[in-house]
Amino acid sequence: MAAEKRRSMIKMKPKKYKVGDTISVDFIIIHPMDTGMQKDKKTGNIKPAKYLDNVTFLLDGKPFTTMKVWETVSTNPYFSVNLKVPGEGEITVEYTDNTGEKGSKSAKLKPKG
Amino acid sequence: MQRRSFLKGLCAASAAAAVGPVLLSAKEEANAAPQGPNALSYAMAVEAITSGKAVTESTKIDLIVPEIAENGAVVPVKVNVDHPMEENNYVKAIHVLAKENGNSRCADVMLTPLNGKGYFATRVKLAKTQEVVALVELSDGSFLSAGKSVKVTIGGCG
Repeated sequence: MAAEKRRSMIKMKPKKYKVGDTISVDFIIIHPMDTGMQKDKKTGNIKPAKYLDNVTFLLDGKPFTTMKVWETVSTNPYFSVNLKVPGEGEITVEYTDNTGEKGSKSAKLKPKG
Repeated sequence: MQRRSFLKGLCAASAAAAVGPVLLSAKEEANAAPQGPNALSYAMAVEAITSGKAVTESTKIDLIVPEIAENGAVVPVKVNVDHPMEENNYVKAIHVLAKENGNSRCADVMLTPLNGKGYFATRVKLAKTQEVVALVELSDGSFLSAGKSVKVTIGGCG
């Protein structure tokens, strides 16, 4: 685990949904996504590569979407997938980056009606 | 000088002359080739994903990208696949590729029937004006693709 804690967020759209609806689950994270080819403007040294490489969306511990990501994804990445709501549960997004940094973020799934 | 040795020499010289430019061009290509730790050309990336299977262009894939991207560092990409998501017939994977980037792979997304719809959206970096391709794998092992070109005003890979 890294010393600094990354800010991340899970958003469900639309906000109100029922069981059986297909909603979109967005995951947004603050991450530099350095390609390893850019120069640091202050020091002039090449910044080492640092990018997310695996992102997994889990529902109650079971993965429903797994992603392999490369440095070509923009800084502060945003990933959106759909989910057919099977009932109440917990969505967790786990991520690792190429330097071995790990983290996860959870959100409750609360269908109404 | 003997005729035989003269001819041999001539052969070698002409061979060298023929090979010379080829070597030079190969060197130039190596210089122009994408650099970086994960550099992989588009053709090789497709080969790695499909392992030689045929890819058909399909109108079932709705690839939404801007026609002109002012900032190549943030280009929104949306992929919608018009395909059922049932237990044995679903969209298995969506691959987002950028043809001219050093590393042409952007994201490989493995979906399951739980997703309910073949949909993926993200933002990618584009080095220059190029075509963005969505390569979709269905559960029966067939591949579909759709591509759209994006005009980039300022490149996004420094």
